[in-house]
Amino acid sequence: MKINRIFQYGTMAALTLFLSVFLLLPVFIVIQVGCDWSLIMEVCRSQVYREGLLNSLQIAVVTTLMVALISVPLALLYDRFDFPGRELCSLAMLLPMILPPFVGALGFQQLLGHYGVFNSILAALGFERVDFLSGNGVFWSVCFIEALHLYPIFYLNIVTALGNIDPALNEAGANLGGNKWQRFFRITLPLMRPGLLAGGSIVLVWSFTEMGTPLMFGFTRVAPVQILNGLNELETNPLPYTLVLIMLIVSALLYLVSRLALGGTANATPVKGNTSSTAVKLASWKKFLPGAAFVLVSFCAVLPHLALLGIAFGKNYYNTILPQGFTLAHFDSALSNVLVLPSIGNSLRYSLLAMFIAVVIGVVVALASVRWKLRGSVALDLLSMLPLAVPGVVVAFGFLGMTVKFSWAAALFDPVENPLWLLSIAYAVRRIPYVVRSVGSGLEQTPEELENAARNFGATAWQVLCKITLPLIVANLLVGGLFAFSFSMLEVSDSLILAQKSEFFPITKALFELSQILGSGPSSASAFGVWAMCFLAVTLIAAGILLGKRIGSIFKF
Amino acid sequence: MGTVLLKNICKSFTPGVPVLDDLNLEIKSGELFFLLGPSGCGKSTLMRILSGLTSADSGSISFDGVEVQDLPPEKRQAAMVFQNYALWPHMTVFENVAFGLKIRKLPRKEVQERVMEALEMVHLADCADRKAPQLSGGQQQRVALARALAVDPPLLLLDEPLSNLDARLRDAMREEISSICAKRGFTALYVTHDRQEALSMADRMGVMKDGKIRQIGTPRELYEHPGDRFCAEFLGDINFIDGKVDNGNFSCSFGTFPVAGDFSGTHTAAIRPERIAFAADGEDGFDAELISGSYLGDCSSWICRAGGVDLVVREFAPEERAAGEQVRLKFAPGRLLILE
Repeated sequence: MKINRIFQYGTMAALTLFLSVFLLLPVFIVIQVGCDWSLIMEVCRSQVYREGLLNSLQIAVVTTLMVALISVPLALLYDRFDFPGRELCSLAMLLPMILPPFVGALGFQQLLGHYGVFNSILAALGFERVDFLSGNGVFWSVCFIEALHLYPIFYLNIVTALGNIDPALNEAGANLGGNKWQRFFRITLPLMRPGLLAGGSIVLVWSFTEMGTPLMFGFTRVAPVQILNGLNELETNPLPYTLVLIMLIVSALLYLVSRLALGGTANATPVKGNTSSTAVKLASWKKFLPGAAFVLVSFCAVLPHLALLGIAFGKNYYNTILPQGFTLAHFDSALSNVLVLPSIGNSLRYSLLAMFIAVVIGVVVALASVRWKLRGSVALDLLSMLPLAVPGVVVAFGFLGMTVKFSWAAALFDPVENPLWLLSIAYAVRRIPYVVRSVGSGLEQTPEELENAARNFGATAWQVLCKITLPLIVANLLVGGLFAFSFSMLEVSDSLILAQKSEFFPITKALFELSQILGSGPSSASAFGVWAMCFLAVTLIAAGILLGKRIGSIFKF
Repeated sequence: MGTVLLKNICKSFTPGVPVLDDLNLEIKSGELFFLLGPSGCGKSTLMRILSGLTSADSGSISFDGVEVQDLPPEKRQAAMVFQNYALWPHMTVFENVAFGLKIRKLPRKEVQERVMEALEMVHLADCADRKAPQLSGGQQQRVALARALAVDPPLLLLDEPLSNLDARLRDAMREEISSICAKRGFTALYVTHDRQEALSMADRMGVMKDGKIRQIGTPRELYEHPGDRFCAEFLGDINFIDGKVDNGNFSCSFGTFPVAGDFSGTHTAAIRPERIAFAADGEDGFDAELISGSYLGDCSSWICRAGGVDLVVREFAPEERAAGEQVRLKFAPGRLLILE
């Protein structure tokens, strides 16, 4: 037993060291380099940077509101009603996860551009063309595309929160005379606050630091894009560090504000209940209404990517409602680009390595916090969740800073020489929370008695882990790993900042570079994007089959 | 207050498997009515139908002559004490109890008064500012009761409200609920599977099985004159004896005894263990052999074999007896019941 304890403490110490070096140290470096009073003043005085930060903030707030407007009603529909296709609808809510917004932006421009699909319809009907994407149009487009990408996270959190509310609590409200609205505002809404907080703060921070979508829209007056553009002069001008620091502070503030606004998670006490689901069956034609709402939202989410398919397979898809014909030429031209093929190999290498790192660390953190419950387990669990609140740009810049500052880091991880380890670790660190949550929920659902029984029959701790624990949570393990892998494949900010030589570009950076080529660029980029989406779809469908309905537990924070 | 009338209530969740099967019931105004039955007999479903949380497939429900089966739960005015309490964890005890009153838009001062009055009734006035989850199970149960009482409901529904309490608290709460209902004149329906609870508290009670009410009556009527074998067994231990009735006499393997009622032919007779006694020397009785016994303190429960039939005999203030002993047993005429 004693040796076992020592081993557990040793493992936890090693993990803490790893997370300190690859999470806390980068953050610390960003703070140290960026926290220069004269630079902060410079950012504050500069109208351009002020505007960038303000735009990012506005994008975050508007996106979060849009996301809430989309997901809360749908989550309530799912929770309250039993309608045809209910499970399928809920599964469809995960669709945006395989539709990278970064790629969706291309399709969206095809839809709403001056010579896009919608304007072609207007023109065909004899109306004036409208410039949706000029002026404020770009801002709203960015918010819209991000909202369409992020609503699943919010939705899953709300559905889980609603599912945790004992239906009897609502029934007691009705029993004492509360009508539908009184019950919603006095009982349901306060009780689902933990879900609102978890979903809302993730979406808020995520959209505040989102780099890919504004970049694709050419919306340069947002802080993350300004940081990326400052990258080239980083050695002479450390200003981007200060911007990153400010983003980190604002992110923390956003988290705090949402926590204050929603009053924390004071009601975490689980409510015991014995009432089974009380979903209401709707009569006649009304039963199709909830499903229709789900279909409408899913259709909106898919639309930009449908347009993307049009660009990828279409011939002369310009100033017309539908493409003039179909061709595989764009796939040819994408594949013939020198960046594309190596980037697939690079991404696979980075992402597989990232998955491996994230799974190993995630499993140990989950074991420590669910099973070992040692002194410090809670702290380690919190530390492993930190990446959710730390934007990708912060980690990326911290890594850059490390290689500049420390010779050991430069020797091991120089991004110019080979970013394999640097990118893999950067990807992994930010996906650890998903693995921890997935594996942790699996462990919580597996009775500890099963492990104790094995110990009782003489198995060692290691044998118990390999023969009992891991086989029982294999589905959660696979899903956590798949998520880590597929999110790494489509990661934008780390990829754009840390991959500096074209031979080491991952898919997302290659995609971006491809889209910047005048003329054929967008169509080859679309073709490449379609391929990437299909790839992601296969992994996520596999994950869905493995985990079934429990898939939501990964996004519950 | 109100009379509750249920007519021809049917309900099934899966077609062909009725949970409530053409059920009829009248609860009189101001009465504490108990529904007693095993788990799954449909008693909780009946309660949910009364409160409007579940709707019946057919049949009518009226409160004081007004049909309510189409009213939503919030319009029914039938306050319920939920089995699992269903206290809102985000509210204090005070807020929980005040909910129904605030919904009814009562003036703030009256809300304050009535909440405190209800909390005093359940002896929880000093817990008003605590959050519901901070209370013990027994306290939560009492808050749930106070919450229902505060709205002064025409109909009070209690769904196994004492099932999660320990024995001593349960006894105290039984008396509390009985006296509150009597004092305030509530019409109340109380659902339980605990026969002691029903027998000790009910004004009238019904025994339920398989979605039907088998018998309705006062506790004494049901205990002493059960209508069928199920009701007889469900309300307490009982001996069944097979035999024949002829001319008002029941004859079985160990004797012939006078019985009331107009029966003839083969029948089963029933008698409660505490109605059989050991006969003193010279008294009338029948012979039996003492097979085994268990000593329970205030009484002993013996198994005696008479004419090949095992009879359970309950002896209060028990004597010391040994297995194998030959004994004589007796019971008062008219205590033997013939079941139809």
